[in-house]
Amino acid sequence: MSQSPKSREKCEISFTVNGKLETVHVHAMERLLDVLRHELGLTGTKEGCGEGECGSCSVLIDGMLVNSCLIPVLQANGTKIVTIEGLAADGRLQILQQAFLDCGGAQCGICTPGMILASLHLLEKKPQPTLEEIREGLSGNLCRCTGYMQIFDAVAEAARRGATA
Amino acid sequence: MFSRQQSRPLQRPVEAGLAPPRPSGSRVAPIYLPHQSPPRFRIVCHTLLQAAKSCKRLHDSSIRMKNARIVGTSVPRMEGRGKVTGQARYVDDMVLPGMLYGATVRSRIPRGKIKKFTFGPGIEWNEFIIVTPRDIPGKNCIALIEDDQPCLADGIVNHPEEPLLLLAHPDRHLLPKAVEAVTVEYEPLPAIFDMKESEALQQIIWGTDNTFKTYLIEKGNIDSVWQTADHIVEAKYTTGAQEQLYIENNGMIATFDLQQGLTVWGSLQCPYYIHKALMKLFGLPADRVRVVQMETGGAFGGKEEYPSMIAAHAALLAMKSGKPVKIIYDRMEDMAATTKRHPSHTRHRTAVSKDGKLLAGEIDFTIDGGAYKTLSPVVLSRGAIHAGGAYYWPSIRIRAKAVATNAPPHGAFRGFGAPQSLFAIERHMDRIAQIVGLSPVEIRRRNFLKPGQTTTTGQTVNEEIDLGKLLDRALELSDYHAKKKIFAQDNEQSPRKKGMGIAAFLHGAGFTGSGERFLGSVVGVEACDDGNLRILVSSTEFGQGTNTVLCQIVAEALGIHYEDVSIAQPDTHEVPNSGPTVASRTVMVVGKLVQSAAVGIRNTLTASGMLKDSYSPEEFRAACRAYVAAHGKLRSVAQYEQPDDIVWDEDKYRGSAYAAFAWAVYVAEVTVDLTTYSATVNDFVALQEIGRVLHPVLAKGQIIGGVAQGIGFALYEKVIWENGRMQNGQMTNYIMPTSADLPPIRVYFEELGNVHGAFGAKGIGELPMDGPAPAIVNAIEDALHISFDCIPLLPEDIFAALSENESPQTAIARAPE
Amino acid sequence: MRALPTEYELVAPRTLPDVLSLLAHEPGAWLPIAGGTDVMVQYSAGKLAARKLVSIWNLPELRSLEVMADEIQIGAGCTYTDLRAHEVILRELSLLSSSASWTGGIANQNRGTIGGNIVNASPAADSLPALMVYGAELLLVSARGERRVPYASFHISYRKTQLAPDELIRAICLKRQFSGYYAHARKVGARNAQAISKVCHAALGLLTDGVVDDIRLAMGSVAPVPIRLSETERIIRGRSIDPQLIRLARAAAAAEIRPIDDIRSTSRYRAAVAANLVGEFLEQLSVHGARSENSQKVLARWNGLQSDKAAEEILPCCGSKAWARGMTTRRPVLNEEALLAACDEVWRNLPESDWLEAYRSHPRIGDSHTPASAPVQSAAWSSAEQQKVRAAGEDVKAALAAGNREYEQKFNRIFIVCATGKSAPQILAILRRRLQNDEKTELHEAAEQQRQIAHLRLKKWLSS
Repeated sequence: MSQSPKSREKCEISFTVNGKLETVHVHAMERLLDVLRHELGLTGTKEGCGEGECGSCSVLIDGMLVNSCLIPVLQANGTKIVTIEGLAADGRLQILQQAFLDCGGAQCGICTPGMILASLHLLEKKPQPTLEEIREGLSGNLCRCTGYMQIFDAVAEAARRGATA
Repeated sequence: MFSRQQSRPLQRPVEAGLAPPRPSGSRVAPIYLPHQSPPRFRIVCHTLLQAAKSCKRLHDSSIRMKNARIVGTSVPRMEGRGKVTGQARYVDDMVLPGMLYGATVRSRIPRGKIKKFTFGPGIEWNEFIIVTPRDIPGKNCIALIEDDQPCLADGIVNHPEEPLLLLAHPDRHLLPKAVEAVTVEYEPLPAIFDMKESEALQQIIWGTDNTFKTYLIEKGNIDSVWQTADHIVEAKYTTGAQEQLYIENNGMIATFDLQQGLTVWGSLQCPYYIHKALMKLFGLPADRVRVVQMETGGAFGGKEEYPSMIAAHAALLAMKSGKPVKIIYDRMEDMAATTKRHPSHTRHRTAVSKDGKLLAGEIDFTIDGGAYKTLSPVVLSRGAIHAGGAYYWPSIRIRAKAVATNAPPHGAFRGFGAPQSLFAIERHMDRIAQIVGLSPVEIRRRNFLKPGQTTTTGQTVNEEIDLGKLLDRALELSDYHAKKKIFAQDNEQSPRKKGMGIAAFLHGAGFTGSGERFLGSVVGVEACDDGNLRILVSSTEFGQGTNTVLCQIVAEALGIHYEDVSIAQPDTHEVPNSGPTVASRTVMVVGKLVQSAAVGIRNTLTASGMLKDSYSPEEFRAACRAYVAAHGKLRSVAQYEQPDDIVWDEDKYRGSAYAAFAWAVYVAEVTVDLTTYSATVNDFVALQEIGRVLHPVLAKGQIIGGVAQGIGFALYEKVIWENGRMQNGQMTNYIMPTSADLPPIRVYFEELGNVHGAFGAKGIGELPMDGPAPAIVNAIEDALHISFDCIPLLPEDIFAALSENESPQTAIARAPE
Repeated sequence: MRALPTEYELVAPRTLPDVLSLLAHEPGAWLPIAGGTDVMVQYSAGKLAARKLVSIWNLPELRSLEVMADEIQIGAGCTYTDLRAHEVILRELSLLSSSASWTGGIANQNRGTIGGNIVNASPAADSLPALMVYGAELLLVSARGERRVPYASFHISYRKTQLAPDELIRAICLKRQFSGYYAHARKVGARNAQAISKVCHAALGLLTDGVVDDIRLAMGSVAPVPIRLSETERIIRGRSIDPQLIRLARAAAAAEIRPIDDIRSTSRYRAAVAANLVGEFLEQLSVHGARSENSQKVLARWNGLQSDKAAEEILPCCGSKAWARGMTTRRPVLNEEALLAACDEVWRNLPESDWLEAYRSHPRIGDSHTPASAPVQSAAWSSAEQQKVRAAGEDVKAALAAGNREYEQKFNRIFIVCATGKSAPQILAILRRRLQNDEKTELHEAAEQQRQIAHLRLKKWLSS
């Protein structure tokens, strides 16, 4: 990463997104969310609240679930980011995505990208989670449509189908 | 005596090739493509199994299609793939070349005259587009029921956050500062903030008497009963404002072109509402205003009328700048400035016999409409009609009123008046039970509406609904009696008090009375070049399953594959006006029209000789292709006609208010923790009769989601007002339930069918909003033996009531003797 | 998003000395930002006064966690997730891992840091009462050097701390002296997750011979800073817990706090809940604290035994000699939690043959004959555990016997189940279900049952 002497100018920041190396010239305090959406055109990550409460902006950074609306892009320099666009490889849905479809886990869909990433993160840490663990794992992702039950079903079903095997 | 009538055919004659002319240069651009992979009918989830099992109760086989293959199964969500891959396009995902961003300068005072605007230093104002009321070509109003709400305040402000000016700039980051830099000098006027103040008429802030609308519903001979009644039960109930809190904020993109006219894309429920409003605002004819719905991230009524305002703003900026303009609200702005559920106040006065029968009642139902009329009359109507609940009233007088206050106008939110008035009656029934000496179960059983009886508006119940049996089933599913017994024992010594509560209710689907007739909804179904069918409706998808269910209906009606049907993106240039996506009407009313239109396609094909009477899906497709190749176009149109058995007197407010009622009994189990005074719901049973379950997973999802919002309405979601402005407009401090807060919500269905609905369906979108709050507060009363009559009911309120009612029970919880 | 990114400067020096030198160069001009879960919220709302920010996220010097003999040093840059995952914190400083689990959701726990929580100094912060009762000390570092300050006096007034403009918190130091204490914490918020606390409370208590030897109470959201309830502690210390003491303590707590009405709650509510929480803690301390006392005696004695004597004493809890030996290598074991955690770890890592040895030490379910090789204590415990089974009807017993035989034929060992509290029909149902398992699944199920049995027996041993 190069940093220009006057730090209020743009700087060059590199990270991999969904396996692809990207370099952007942006201000250090741009939110990672905005850089993903506007610089890289990855609009799958959403803004619901801008304060880290709703989880619609969730992405994975170096395998960790984070709210991208709270991350200055400079801090993402050199990291590996996964967004919702990184999941379906070659157009084939991952087990978790298919489970969301089968179980009614997505209604309006706006919380879905974040919810799927949070679920993925949970399943990677706990491949066979209990209901309590699912509740806790998703407690940072708000959904107004589903009342959560069918999302829990989707995660449990994905676990049964071996989502992270 | 009642009889079931077959409704008349609902379609106009199909005229092949006589589609409304398309403006030149437009394209049909469906975003919902035929589903690619084979249908997944195999039910894989445990809960799907449960839902499927619960659909087995059938009562009217003449309405149900035998051997239904698609309707009644959980086919894949039509637009689901885009949603789970992040490909679905919401308005903020779209960027147009040269696009500017817009923002709104808003009032900081609740009421006053605007004296002066000052554009402060530190901003390059010449880079900004500025729109004032002078820029409005047509009438400065957001046309709805009345034209009283200005698009931009013109000289006078009537609520905090009222739009005053609009700004646009290429750099979205510069807008917040610019908005802050506009200062406004006001001459403040006295403002009023609650219904009581409004009714006191010390200040007149709207019309001549602060009253947007009144209704009077009368039945029987009320006044003679009071003297002879064994009991007269009086009480008051209030409900607070509630924010819809769709996770996607409001947003619009507009372009303005002198030839093409005005186009807006956005997050919305009702394209034609916006279309009508923009025509008036700009003085443009219908074919030069185009409204397109993008994927919409939740709505719940919050995007029924408000989008007209934000569309108008984006459009004005687009007109003035000559460039596309995008306005996206952030959460703080959306919460503070847009509509909320109408706060309500209900006063019940009820004459009851000693054996618990309702003899007569007076219900005064008042709602706070905020500063402008908007949809308040319609919310009031629904609230008033539902105010008597699911009970038989020999006599009743319902006085309903919507009044003005200096708050941002309140608006549509799932339930639309019914959650408010049903909260009151369902709490009141428990109160009556106590006074008369009956259980909450028994008081309801003795008063439930029965087939053949009439509702408060004199509508005869003409289906075989047995609410007593529904109640029994709900009690069994929830283990009500056993739990009540155990709780009564355990509560003595425990600091965690548990209780059970019931709510029984109904919800009318479709527009009230003559509403559907006035709407005269039109739908179309057309064949594409490849032989697939496309549905043309202005009904929008925002998670509830519009796309999926309408395609199911066509596929089922014609015996073709679900994958062979698609639905056009709602675009007023491409689709007819099938009415707004509200009032739980889409599946029932629009679905039935779509069914008719689909049949019309088949009729045309068979009449043309291109299709035999018995055919395979492939043959159907081939026939469509052949027809289109030969004639250029194959489109069938159907328009709503009111069935004969729906008769409504708009003046007396009597008759058949709704084409169909769904019926429900909900049971809540709660725990009140006396260490923290928090009430939590531990288990929830939602049992409802909804005509026909067309898609088990979607139907169940609607109920669970609605119950979750109802739990929020009861226990978590409080709007904190100060001088007419919402103070807690952030997700951190406006509290909606997280995944860690909700109990298992167990959903069960019964099906009686419905002559007026597609494949026997009734509307269910709003039903689940009505039951949770009263069931929960009834349960809390069971737990604490304290009556609460206001929601939201927060721990602070429970604590305040307990500390007033210091009793040995509560003392035990706090310090062991 | 209401901030203009071009108005802000953010730099990310690679090392701590670089950061400190920047802070020294322009004290007060640079706002450190770690995980950003507080700073970025203010920024997005357009309310961040600072214009220059220095990132201290993920600096290795700040994110380390050192476990020493008598102290743990938690790097200020450790995230809540780091705290929740650390074994020693889970075992010995559980109030920290609990409060970390209540803060935000998983995404915010992955970024929020303990140092940030302290420096942000919201009186509602979840972790701060825990730090208060643990008597934390802070290592503050600057270009001028390092100093160690007691956390107790770190908060001066509302959102104002002792941190100098050129300083950072480098680490939080906690003494490893609390294993024997009864620990209790509770957060009261508007909902179960993602809530700012209305009242939050952390408490530690030590009972010796029924008398409160030590007590530490701290609360958040009831004053401009997180506070120790020293006056309330004074009233409790040295006394036995009885209803009168609880009443006095509750009243003292209500008097000691200074809650306010705000957007989240009311002062009356907060005062009432604070009193309730103190009362709840004392009640639980009087019940659990006593058990805790005896456990300390048993453990202290056991810790001091010669290895083979120690192994011999603990063997009946599990039946595997390798397990018993493994347990002795874990000494000194400080409390019940640590003992159970050690049990699980040792058990999990044993080879299969040792598991089988453990199983062989049990009698069959429904059988009263313990293998001769099993210790006497084991036999006594087995007998107690199978109490309900013995009360069963003859036909059930016969079915059990048949099931046992079938099981042994299939799996070549006896059927193991944690029988305590289970009726014979229940056990029979479990047996029938497990007969369907394949070998691998069944081995693990049996191992899990054995682990549960071991836990129950260890607890009995501790209270003997």
